[in-house]
Amino acid sequence: MSDHNSFMYKVEKSALITIIGIFLLFSMAMAVVLIAPRYVDPTWTTPTNPYQVQIYEIADPHLYITSSPGNSERQQVYHIKQDFSLLAFQESETTRIVSPPSLEKFITHPHDSSLKLTSQLLFLRKPVQIAGSFDGVAAADTLRKSLQEQWHKTHPADQNVPYFEILELYQPNGTEGFAVASSEGILENWIDRNFIILDDTVKQKYHQDPGVIYVNNPQEFRIRAYNVSDGKGWRYDPNGEPIQDLKQLQSHALGFKSRQELIQLGEHIYAIEGCWYCHTDQTRTLVQDVVLNGSDSYPAPPSSANEYIYQRITFPGTRRIGPDLSRVAVKRPSRDWHKGHFWSPKTASKGSIMPAFQHFFDTDPRGTGKNQMGIPNYRFEAIFQYLMTKGTRITPPTQAWWLGKDPVKTKEIIEGQRTLKP
Amino acid sequence: MQATVDKYQDTPVKLMLYPALIFLGMGMIFGNFIAFNTFIFPDYFSGEYIHFGRVRPVHVGHVTLLWLLSANVGLFYYFIPRLCGVALWSVKLAYISIALWWGALILGVYSYPWGTNFGWEYAELPNWIGWIPIKPMLIISWVLATINFFITIANRKFEKMYVSLWYAMGAMIWTSITLFVGSYVINMVPGGISRVNVSFFYVHNLVGLIFTPMGLATAYYFLPKISNVPIYSHRLSMIGFWSIAFIYAWIGSHHIIHGPVSQWLQTTAIVFSIWLFIPVWTVVHNLISTLIGHWDKFNESAPVRFIIMGVLFYLLTCVQGPLMALRNINEITSKTDWVIGHSHISLYATFTFFATAGIYQAIPVITKKPLWSNKLADWHFALSLWGSIFFIFSLWIGGFLQGLMWSTWANGSSYAEFHNNLTIFPFIQTISEMYTWWVLRGIGGLIILFANLLFIFNIFNTIVLAPAPMEAKVGS
Repeated sequence: MSDHNSFMYKVEKSALITIIGIFLLFSMAMAVVLIAPRYVDPTWTTPTNPYQVQIYEIADPHLYITSSPGNSERQQVYHIKQDFSLLAFQESETTRIVSPPSLEKFITHPHDSSLKLTSQLLFLRKPVQIAGSFDGVAAADTLRKSLQEQWHKTHPADQNVPYFEILELYQPNGTEGFAVASSEGILENWIDRNFIILDDTVKQKYHQDPGVIYVNNPQEFRIRAYNVSDGKGWRYDPNGEPIQDLKQLQSHALGFKSRQELIQLGEHIYAIEGCWYCHTDQTRTLVQDVVLNGSDSYPAPPSSANEYIYQRITFPGTRRIGPDLSRVAVKRPSRDWHKGHFWSPKTASKGSIMPAFQHFFDTDPRGTGKNQMGIPNYRFEAIFQYLMTKGTRITPPTQAWWLGKDPVKTKEIIEGQRTLKP
Repeated sequence: MQATVDKYQDTPVKLMLYPALIFLGMGMIFGNFIAFNTFIFPDYFSGEYIHFGRVRPVHVGHVTLLWLLSANVGLFYYFIPRLCGVALWSVKLAYISIALWWGALILGVYSYPWGTNFGWEYAELPNWIGWIPIKPMLIISWVLATINFFITIANRKFEKMYVSLWYAMGAMIWTSITLFVGSYVINMVPGGISRVNVSFFYVHNLVGLIFTPMGLATAYYFLPKISNVPIYSHRLSMIGFWSIAFIYAWIGSHHIIHGPVSQWLQTTAIVFSIWLFIPVWTVVHNLISTLIGHWDKFNESAPVRFIIMGVLFYLLTCVQGPLMALRNINEITSKTDWVIGHSHISLYATFTFFATAGIYQAIPVITKKPLWSNKLADWHFALSLWGSIFFIFSLWIGGFLQGLMWSTWANGSSYAEFHNNLTIFPFIQTISEMYTWWVLRGIGGLIILFANLLFIFNIFNTIVLAPAPMEAKVGS
């Protein structure tokens, strides 16, 4: 250190060289570990499959859910838009469809080889008789009679003639409408083979994907208002008033929120409640993890980078004193189970140290319920919808890992790995 | 000598250290609350604003930001001017910075129970509470302090810079960038794993490039000062500093080994994690060797004991850290309570020990009164040490067993066997098995809390009481 011109001596006395050195080393690291990866690894930004894209970008913003206090039951409604939403009108053995001749081509009959889809706004309803136009009631009667006659021919001994449900396909006014959604709202109807879209031109880019999400047999969502002792209520009624527009659906009285809003709200709740301090959200590439998250018959595929791309905050987690949640929608799809569990985790799951989340519930205004559990409020709905995205969106429902169609072949890997060793 | 001491303005030091000591106590009270209310009597006090998920960030915010970081900045205000031989460049600027600092942190940390958590680990501070820009205030405060320190260093009287000044300069620059990256850049990159990667870069830099250099700067300054022995090797301290500057920023993704990030990134993080042995061993060797031939100081002075025990715990935590990054060890330790033990050893048993030693030395200097009770300081050290040992070893052993229990699901050769393992030994049972360890951890936590209440009491009396009784005792 005696040589005052040596580099080390200069470093020791020059604050400037120190600062430049610190910056240089730090930016080098940042360039490689922060900036490079997403350009090197396309999986960081590319979606896994078209189903993931469509359920987040097409289905979620157009599915509306309420658990408003005005209505004791949860309702799910599709917002259907002309030239956007794809609809299917499928007949089954017991459900048949009548229609004016111009709409006949949109019906998929049981013997048809491919599913017919359209982005025209059409609905199904109980047949009606409107003067001067197609007589749905008469057509339905004729069809039912012929079906019953046919039944007698094929089943001469059977006296129980099935009641054939007959619906009428019609074209509503306007360019958008609201349809009852009967599913649990976790998976969407998906078809990736044997389908045809009966549009003159390509209306939306996603209509050209190898598979599409569609709405099956939409029937218009109509409501009837009624007065109860503690205010105005409403309920679903096929003969009630139609919904005017999106504003009415989202109004305070009806209280619908889109599934997209709910999932984002759920993500926010997951952040502020600190769920991520105890639960991880990643199935690691370890046997114990794919087993922990697996179903009875199949291991869960490990998490991949692209299953998180639609999240604003991702919670991979650093500690696991509650089970991992990355496949929870497959392991625990039941809304009722989550209701009971959030209300009182210690009773729903013996030995659990999870706190109760009773602020996800409102007190029952009528107080007539048998148990003391409150009525789930929008916070429950949001966190439930958020959790239901976990593990269900990494593959289309037709190639789902819980059906043994795991594209990663997790089971083969973990079993093969073991047999390699003597 | 007395004349030179008087030229340093110590009000900024007091404005940082005094509140930080109060928050040290508060943070440990919150920590004990969750240790008992979550793990020993789960959800005994139940409710929206006091459940674990909402109180945990309050505890972490207290001990990391309101206590440790604030205390370290306070000690910077103390020793940077003294190492440079000049007064702080601008006391006014320091006041502005300190006002923004406490405003942002107190409002931010106490708002978590009302649902303001930002959602990224260690970055929980909200951007806004109403119209108050919490995070911008903190970052501006930090940048103002940085400017203040840098100009002070530029004006220094002594040409050669002592190693503490380098660490201080590094910490100020790294933290300015890291805070900005973790708070804002994280929302500029695409959603998903890109953000996770930024988050872990931030998380690790907060520990490795903020608390480590600040803590080491403190230890390097105060150990020679308190023991009155020069540092063992200046060259070793240089190697330590530059290897930290080179290595730390690369290792963020070792938090997500076996996770959904690219394998090459994990491997990079693992390689750099192993290299961490270099800076750690130079620091440990340097500080321990300083006391060679002077071990009587260890017996005489509680602050020296705090630094030396802190160094030993630093060695322990930094042997753990790189080893936990190895894929096979990570398989067992990751996501278990081992990690919680690891973070407590580094932030409590290492860097809090260093800051404590600094405060024991600085407070008598700035108040110009001797410490109120050296005996109480001895008790503080003994209880802190034993509390830490209880706390840390229970979490390590418990966490390691937890990881081993999870790994039993992988016994066998077919999925049917794996799944059967899980059925007979479900996840929830691995939680129940932790109970004993959590009780021991709770006891350790109580001891640590008690020790630090003694510390706060001692410092409070030093500041407030007249030094007369001590002198009387010495006189008699």
